[in-house]
Amino acid sequence: MKKILLSLVVLLSGCTVVDAYLMTKYDPNEYQMITDIRSKARQSKAQCDDFNVSKINSSITAYSTQLFALYSEHIPRNKDLIEGSQALNVVAQGLSDQYKNTKVSPAFCKIKFESIETSAEKMQIVIGRRPR
Amino acid sequence: MSVEQYQQQLGECFNGSQDPNVQQAAQTANQYTEMFKAGQISKDEYQQLLSDIQQTNIINKSVDNQQVMEYMNTAINGLLTLASLAG
Repeated sequence: MKKILLSLVVLLSGCTVVDAYLMTKYDPNEYQMITDIRSKARQSKAQCDDFNVSKINSSITAYSTQLFALYSEHIPRNKDLIEGSQALNVVAQGLSDQYKNTKVSPAFCKIKFESIETSAEKMQIVIGRRPR
Repeated sequence: MSVEQYQQQLGECFNGSQDPNVQQAAQTANQYTEMFKAGQISKDEYQQLLSDIQQTNIINKSVDNQQVMEYMNTAINGLLTLASLAG
């Protein structure tokens, strides 16, 4: 009965249903990583007036987002989160690069960390709600 | 087109769209433009922040897709449970 029902659903609705049925399960390591990124971004946002501390913070955040992107990269059926994690890494890397090259305004620093925190929270919600 | 005309276009996106992600993106772009005009951020920073809006759109899209998948997954597993109960 279970197999017949599943076959019927697949035939009627196509690959999206298969993807939904076989969707990536909750991974505590992924959840831990994105929570760390969010927490670090929140903390760093409050330190943007200090150039030297913020430079270090931006470097740590860029490393963490890269680690997260690489960790997620080969998890099967994880396409959306892979793209999201790579985009988050681009945002974080941009801030770190800016600190290497030029002066950075506190306003820019705060916007960047705010953006990283908000995006990380959205991804945290998605990972946390995955089936266990 | 001038900066003001592009800002007007963003305002039209904000008012014309029902999608909160589009509204947020339009509002954010306008906010960055005002900050750049006021000298609060440099040209490099302004350019990078505008590019970040596109990255944020990718993140939002991934979140939206995932939520649909979760919703469907719950429904499918519910159907499977019902099917197993029916024997």
